[in-house]
Amino acid sequence: MSERNRELVLLLPAMLVTTIGFALVYIEQSAALEWTSLAYGAAFLGLFGLVHVAARFAVPRADPYLLPVTALLSSLGILMLYRLNVRLAMQQTVWLLVGLLLFLIVLVGLRNYRVLADYKYVVGSAGLALLLLTIVAGREVNGARLWIRVAGIGFQPPEFAKLLLIIFFAAYLDQVREFLTVSTRRVVGVAIPPIRYLGPLFVIWGLAILMMIFMKDLGTSLLFYGALLALMYVATGRFFYVVVGAILLAVGAAALYSTFPHVQLRVDIWLDPWKDTAGRGYQIVQSLFALASGGLGGTGLGGGFLVMRSGNTIIPALETDFIFSAIGEELGLVGAVAIILLYLLFVYRGLRIAIASNDDFSRLLATGLSAIFGLQAFLIIGGVTKLIPLTGITLPFVSYGGSSIVANFALLALLLVVSDRAARVVRPEAG
Amino acid sequence: MERQVNRLFLFFAVLFIALIAQLTYVQVYAAPTLRVHAANTRALDAEMRVQRGLIVSADGVVLAENHKDGPYYLRDYPHPELAAPWLGYADLRYGRAGVERVYNAELSGETGVLAVRNFLDKITGRPQRGADLQVTIDTRVQEAAVSGLGDQVGAVVALDPRTGKVLALASSPRYDPNTVADDWKALAQHPGRPLVDRGVQGLYPPGSTFKAIVAAGALQEGTVTPETTFVDVGFWVAGGYRVNNYGGKVYGKHTFTQAFAESINTTFAKVGVELGADRLSHYAEAFGFNARPPWPLGGAKSFFPPAGAMDTAHVAQASIGQGKVLATPLEMALVAAGIANGGVVMEPTVVEEWRDYRQTVVGRPEPKVWLTPITPQTAATERGLMIEVVNEGTGTKAALPSVQVAGKTGTAEVDSGAPHAWFIGFAPADHPEVAVAVLVEHGGTGGSVAAPIARAVIAAALGR
Repeated sequence: MSERNRELVLLLPAMLVTTIGFALVYIEQSAALEWTSLAYGAAFLGLFGLVHVAARFAVPRADPYLLPVTALLSSLGILMLYRLNVRLAMQQTVWLLVGLLLFLIVLVGLRNYRVLADYKYVVGSAGLALLLLTIVAGREVNGARLWIRVAGIGFQPPEFAKLLLIIFFAAYLDQVREFLTVSTRRVVGVAIPPIRYLGPLFVIWGLAILMMIFMKDLGTSLLFYGALLALMYVATGRFFYVVVGAILLAVGAAALYSTFPHVQLRVDIWLDPWKDTAGRGYQIVQSLFALASGGLGGTGLGGGFLVMRSGNTIIPALETDFIFSAIGEELGLVGAVAIILLYLLFVYRGLRIAIASNDDFSRLLATGLSAIFGLQAFLIIGGVTKLIPLTGITLPFVSYGGSSIVANFALLALLLVVSDRAARVVRPEAG
Repeated sequence: MERQVNRLFLFFAVLFIALIAQLTYVQVYAAPTLRVHAANTRALDAEMRVQRGLIVSADGVVLAENHKDGPYYLRDYPHPELAAPWLGYADLRYGRAGVERVYNAELSGETGVLAVRNFLDKITGRPQRGADLQVTIDTRVQEAAVSGLGDQVGAVVALDPRTGKVLALASSPRYDPNTVADDWKALAQHPGRPLVDRGVQGLYPPGSTFKAIVAAGALQEGTVTPETTFVDVGFWVAGGYRVNNYGGKVYGKHTFTQAFAESINTTFAKVGVELGADRLSHYAEAFGFNARPPWPLGGAKSFFPPAGAMDTAHVAQASIGQGKVLATPLEMALVAAGIANGGVVMEPTVVEEWRDYRQTVVGRPEPKVWLTPITPQTAATERGLMIEVVNEGTGTKAALPSVQVAGKTGTAEVDSGAPHAWFIGFAPADHPEVAVAVLVEHGGTGGSVAAPIARAVIAAALGR
């Protein structure tokens, strides 16, 4: 079966799940089944059908699993939002349309994505500027300063910055990896690479520390820093960089822990949220209660205790950071694990694209995009399940948030164009 | 580079497996603890949104209903004096007790008899309601028990010996289930412990009411007949323990029937010692001592000391219901009921039937046999002894003009203060419809204090 036919077949169960899901929520909320509830499923079928057709023309040989996984995640996200707050679901649908539009633009416009490597400093500076802009002009929402407002629309620059910086890292490391692997000096038996090529590492390290201080957000810092370390490891094959990088971040974080109360607070809440279940620990404790309430099989869509009479959600930021807790309650462990496996599948396919690619820039790009995507999912799911300290980042494709969904569709499109090229262009050295 | 990418994937696989492990821990392993965590109000909150089933008495009086306050249904108890403590309460903060606690699943409709129907209602859009519960408690009998106790500290248990249906379960002092949340602190500190249901949780020395079990054992074993004669000189020494008659009376020559009617301690000490520790213990347990009573709302185990731990003095003491023997009023009511019902003790129940909101009956528990301590013949013989108590003996104040009452009084000595007053009995004696146990803490003699209350309760139960 060709890649695109496989994709089409895989899209069908995704749409079936969406249709049934909407019908169930509709029954729960309106106490009756109506045809309009089925219309959502049909609408998503049509939408992703169109995207699929576009993919047939633009990237015929691209990976067939990524689009269905994305379709399932994003429709599940809208489904959960619809169940929580119909108005947000409508807005998210608009953002989904914008995201799909950007997806198509990237798919068609960046088929020759390798030119991006030539403009790496432009791209990198733009990414850096977006982050600095957030640091300077950001508004605080839910204790993290990740938002800026442009023409009345809330906008999360880090979501876009992550794409631009990954492109830059990939291009830069492609260029300097040979210098980083060839060591000129040895200190106590350890090969020390030329310091000047480590510039980006230090820049991002500084940026991560700055973000922790000014954005009050550990998640975004860890995201960028982690993705960079992953890329350096893959580019150079040296675990040494990961170790040095981790030590650098640990030193910085330890210094921050003792100086900045908000970092300390996040960690303290993580260590013992039960001290103050009505105050600081409320959010994470309620998240654990929601997950426990779901148990193995979940309460069923619409059956969870998520929205209070006032219309407020019982867990603050349920639609954004804590959407996974809502899924865990209503779909249970079974549904939640399925979501985790979908993310792992996405990462797996992304890294397969890296392996199948036939030039280093493509490999590094696919690796970086997959790594930052997977890391983001891990950080937020780990946060709401109290595996790691909570950070204020979105669950890719599922959380409410225009910037997040639009940026992630661009990420998907980039992976698909890399994948298409990998399948079409025969490896020179493989011949 | 391929090797590094593969390792990176392995790294992600480990991260995601850690997520799955943590999630399994939270959602499965820790979930039962988290669900009942004190800070977790979601379950209670959700339940308060369901219209809880009504609780109606056997004679059709509504004992628990709801009013709506915002999204919540709140509980009202129109007859608090008849409801507490057996019916319990359902409160957001203090949780539930009594019938409200034990039958919460059915009353809230989430599980149990109405689960499937409620699921269908959810799909078809009909309002969700819990099942209505008709209890076996009859407000006329309960009223008689409550007013009989009045301000005295004590308990009354009345039940139908044929089915085990509990008709009245009164405990005094009581609390008001409507204001239990506001009164909580005072109730918890009250010396009279109004939150305790004395009828099923209170343990008291049964005194002479225990002679009903001694007599049952001796008659069944054939060590005595109603006509066996004894001589009383006012005391009897057994293993160094001196048994006296109540009030220092001396009875002289008498039959076993008279010994039972007049509650002669010396004779029962002799009968008990002759029966022996093993058989005494056997009959106490045959009537339900040392066993958790099958009372659905939960109750204390009545206690009879192990046979091996008793010397002659202990046996003599136990034979008159003193020493280490302890019984709940429910247990003593079940002893009376067993004798009344031809030697068959039925399981006490409180559920008459379950109905959905269309008043369709969705569940009705069948009566179940709990114990068969004695033969019908023994039971019939003992009924005769118990009739004599009411006609000629210590229990004349339990007598009713138009119906034969049978019973046994008890005046249980305690370390300090007046003795506990007991009466157990049933009526009509030839085909019993009600069995009763009355206990008044430090009330005085059973015949003067407990028997009149039993009389009023029996009269109410028989509609006379």
